[in-house]
Parts: sequence; C-alpha cells; structure tokens
Amino acid sequence: MKAKIQIARHAELPLNEDKANFFLQISTAISVFLFSIALAAYFMTSSMISSWNKNIVDGLTVQIMPPAETLSEEEELLRTNKVISFFEGLDGVLKVRKVSNEQIQHLMAPWLGKNADIESLPMPKLLDVRLKDGKTFDFEKASDSLKEFAPYASIDNHGLWLKKLIKSAGSLKILSLFVLALVLGATVFSLFYAVETSLKVHQNIVEILHVMGATDSYIAKQYAIRALKVGFVSSLIGIGLGFLALFVISHLSSGLETGLIGAASLNRFHWIFLFSLPIWCALLSMGMSFFGVKQVLRKMM
Amino acid sequence: METRKNILTEPIVDIQNVCIRYGKDPEVLSDIKLTLEKGSFHFLTGKSGAGKTSLLSMMYLALKPSRGTVMVFGTNVGYASRDAMAGLRRRIGVVFQDFRLLEHLSAYDNVAVPLRIKGMGENEIKKRVKELLSWVELDKSMDKICSTLSGGEKQRVAIARAVINRPEILLADEPTGNVDNDIASKLMKLFVELNKLGTTVVIATHSKDLIAEYNYPQIHLENKGLKIIPALRRI
Ligand SMILES: Nc1ncnc2c1ncn2[C@@H]1O[C@H](COP(=O)(O)OP(=O)(O)OP(=O)(O)O)[C@@H](O)[C@H]1O
Ligand SMILES: [Mg+2]
Repeated sequence: MKAKIQIARHAELPLNEDKANFFLQISTAISVFLFSIALAAYFMTSSMISSWNKNIVDGLTVQIMPPAETLSEEEELLRTNKVISFFEGLDGVLKVRKVSNEQIQHLMAPWLGKNADIESLPMPKLLDVRLKDGKTFDFEKASDSLKEFAPYASIDNHGLWLKKLIKSAGSLKILSLFVLALVLGATVFSLFYAVETSLKVHQNIVEILHVMGATDSYIAKQYAIRALKVGFVSSLIGIGLGFLALFVISHLSSGLETGLIGAASLNRFHWIFLFSLPIWCALLSMGMSFFGVKQVLRKMM
Repeated sequence: METRKNILTEPIVDIQNVCIRYGKDPEVLSDIKLTLEKGSFHFLTGKSGAGKTSLLSMMYLALKPSRGTVMVFGTNVGYASRDAMAGLRRRIGVVFQDFRLLEHLSAYDNVAVPLRIKGMGENEIKKRVKELLSWVELDKSMDKICSTLSGGEKQRVAIARAVINRPEILLADEPTGNVDNDIASKLMKLFVELNKLGTTVVIATHSKDLIAEYNYPQIHLENKGLKIIPALRRI
C-alpha cells in the first residue's frame, strides 16, 4: 500500500516545477470551457432538430377554401374528396383525415368564443395529412401540383418554413462540430508542444535516466501521471466555468420563444456526458502525453 | 541455458574497426579493436583529450560509433531496438567524470534510481541503498539534496549509484579524482570486490600511483589508436 503511493511520488523528473505546467493548466481549462459550450450547443441543436422533425414535420395541414357561392352538400363533399384522393395518391402519405368541426371549433375558441356556430360561418375545411417521413417529403412539389389540381386548396406552408429552420439549425450544428474539432486539435497540439518543450528543458535528466537503463515508457509514465492530474484539475475548472456560462445563457433565453427553445433541452445522456468531460480530458491528456513523450524521445535521442 | 553458455565464451564487449568522431571534426579514435573478457579488469589511460570518455560513452551506449561494430553482451548495438538498448544499459554501471547526478534529488534518491527503473519494491530499495551509502560513509548526508554536497561526496554518490544494481560491466571515469587517499583506496577495494564477484571493470584514470598499486592491464589511447599494456609484474 505504502510502496504504491511512493512509486507515484518518486518521479525523477521535476515536472511540477515546470514553467510550462502553468501554461498547460490555463490552456486546458480554456479548452475544456470552450469544448463544453460547443458540445452543449451541439447537443441542443441536435435535439432541437430531431424534435422538430419528429413532432411537426411528419404531418401537414391542407386548407380548403369555402366556395364563393353556396353549393349543395353533395357538391361540397365532392370538392373535399377530390383533395383527399389527391393526397392519398401521393407518394409518402400515410393517412388523410378530415379535421372535424368540433376540432375546428376548439382551435378557434380563443378568437370566436366557445359557442360560435361554425356551420354558419364561411370557415375553411381542414385536412390533416400524416406523412411517412417529413424529412424526405417534397413539400414544394406537392404544393405546386395541388395548385393545378384543385386551386381552392392549399398546403399550410409550415412544413416549408420548418425545413428552412431545420436547415439553419443544421448549419449551427455543423458549426459547433467544427468548433469541437478545432478545440480538440488545439488541445492535442498544445499538449504535444508542452511535452516537447519540457523534454528539452529536462534533456540532461532524461539522458542520465537513459544511461541508467530507463525505457522511453519509464520516462513517459512520469509525464502521463502528471498529465492525468493536471488534465483532471484544469478541466474541472473549465467545465465549472462552462456550466456557469450555460446557466446564464439558459436563464437569459428562458423568457424568449419557448416553443422553439423548449425543444433545445438537454437529456440525461447529454448531462452525463458533459459532467464526465474532466474524466475524458484527463484520460486524453494522459494518453497524449504518454505517446507524445515516446514520439519526441525517438526523434530527439 | 544455451545463451548463458554463449556469454561465458563470448567476449562481454567486442569492438571491431570502430571510428569515433564528433560531427565534422577529425576522428578522435580511428579504426580501433578491443575485446573485453567477462570478469576482466582494465585501467583506461591516455593524455587528456585522447578519447577515454568517448570510448567509455560508446561502451555505455550513449555514443554511436561513426563506423564499425560494437557488440555488448553478444548483442550488436547497431541493430538493437530502443527497449533492448535500455535492457543492455541496465546491466552496465557508469560513473561519469562529471558525476551527472540528479541535482534536485537527495543522495538517497539518486542511488535508488537504477533500482526504481528496475521496478524493485521500496522496502528492498531502502535496505540496499542505506547499506551501500553507509559503506561509502554517506549515511549522514543521505537526505541532503545533491546540489549541496561536496565534490567528494558527489563522487561517492555517483559510485554508489553505479554499483547498487550489481552491474555486469562497471565503467568508471576518473572515479577517485576528488576524494582523499583513504576513501580512494576504499573505493578501489569496492571495485576489486565487485570484480571478484564477476563484474567486468574499466577505470579511466590519470593516476600513476593507482596504476602502480594495482596490478591490472591498461587500455592505452594514443594518436587515435589503442594498445593494451599488460599488467606490470610486481617483484
Ligand atoms: N560532445 C563532444 N562534441 C565535440 N567534441 C567532443 C565532444 N566530447 C569530446 N569531444 C572531443 O573529443 C576528444 C576526446 O575527448 P574525451 O572527452 O573523450 O577525452 P578524455 O580522454 O576523456 O580527456 P580527459 O582526460 O581530459 O577527460 C577531445 O578533443 C574533445 O574535444
Ligand atoms: Mg574524460
């Protein structure tokens, strides 16, 4: 038990006194801060996109305008059925359903009051069309051919609108991925640079250890242990700042359009992953240092 | 078992047609041959700048020859992997002319380095290091940081570090240059004892007294060449 603790303590290289150490701590903390925010942004945009895709886009609404002059019930029915059969004949449509008058009344209640007589008003009829997959459904083409087939009916264009929204959220997602890759690359680079600098500073000690018969791994292990500690502590600081920033952002935006941002919540998996960042970071910097040292030593001497 | 037999019959160090040069400077040693049998004892002599330290660094595998082959323990070091080289170095004890201690560590920790590299447990290390340090009369300075030690104390730490792991080859560069006569003869006794236990020893020295007192052959470096001067016959 005691011997084990001592092995870790008996490092010949005085790495804790390195000037590069402080630089490494700061840069790791900043990297993890940026990484946690970019990662949260990635998670949020992903869940936003998937929730929009799931809830809204797999359906569309069709409005059938009331005729200019009064028609018989049969004629009206014919008019509606023509539109229904149009959609039923379309590729990618799962089901077409008339929205009942009660439902319309319910929807219109805020404007017309609960007891409005829908029948006597010139209300458009509504169809609810369920799609197999809104993501692949071509809204524009359907809208165009409907215009020719039955000019009195139109697709409620929220599908089109959402697709545009999803597109821009998608580019936000790609941007956050890009930032993640950038931060990761910068971290790996600065770790490698710190290792190289430190080995040059301690070249004399490294040479002595080599003559005593130390393998590259023996030397790399001392760096790895140090990197594990520095990586963990610094990334705790980084992620602390990251959470603070996320908290402030979510508070500021909580008053805004809840419908859109509400979908941008993080699930349990996301939180676990964010919270475990210090562990990943510590492991990454440990592994990077270990292999970095071996790489540099092979080139250096 | 077979390899063991080989080691007994093969020379422990075999240097053939070797040249040593630093960068584009003229050669320090030119086309030298040297074979050391297991259990031999040699002094290494020659004027300052003759290449004693260079020859020793080649034998402890810190310097690559610019030409020729070097075999140590039957392994051609020109083709050995990095880890194999480390394995060979663990079997060689080195005393540097300028000590090359880890100045920021204590005398104890310096002597412990070869054992820690070997992966020995701390209890065993403690026993061995304390014993050896008190033998070289450094028990009181054991916990002192090396940069605060005197020249003679540093030299003894360096020697203790070189022999702690009972090396098969001991290469010592001016190991008695900084200590008084009493300690010098005590250290020489240590080398002689190790040699009796089977360690192959090479000691670089300028000291005529030392060479005269101990009846061992010399590896003499002169004019970029090497010759063996047999042991002086004592009357
Ligand atoms: N690292 C080096 N770079 C360039 N030249 C070197 C280097 N080390 C030694 N030399 C040169 O090689 C030659 C032999 O040096 P070396 O140190 O081997 O001599 P030595 O016999 O050990 O001398 P001394 O008795 O003074 O210790 C010298 O001319 C020296 O200048
Ligand atoms: Mg010398």
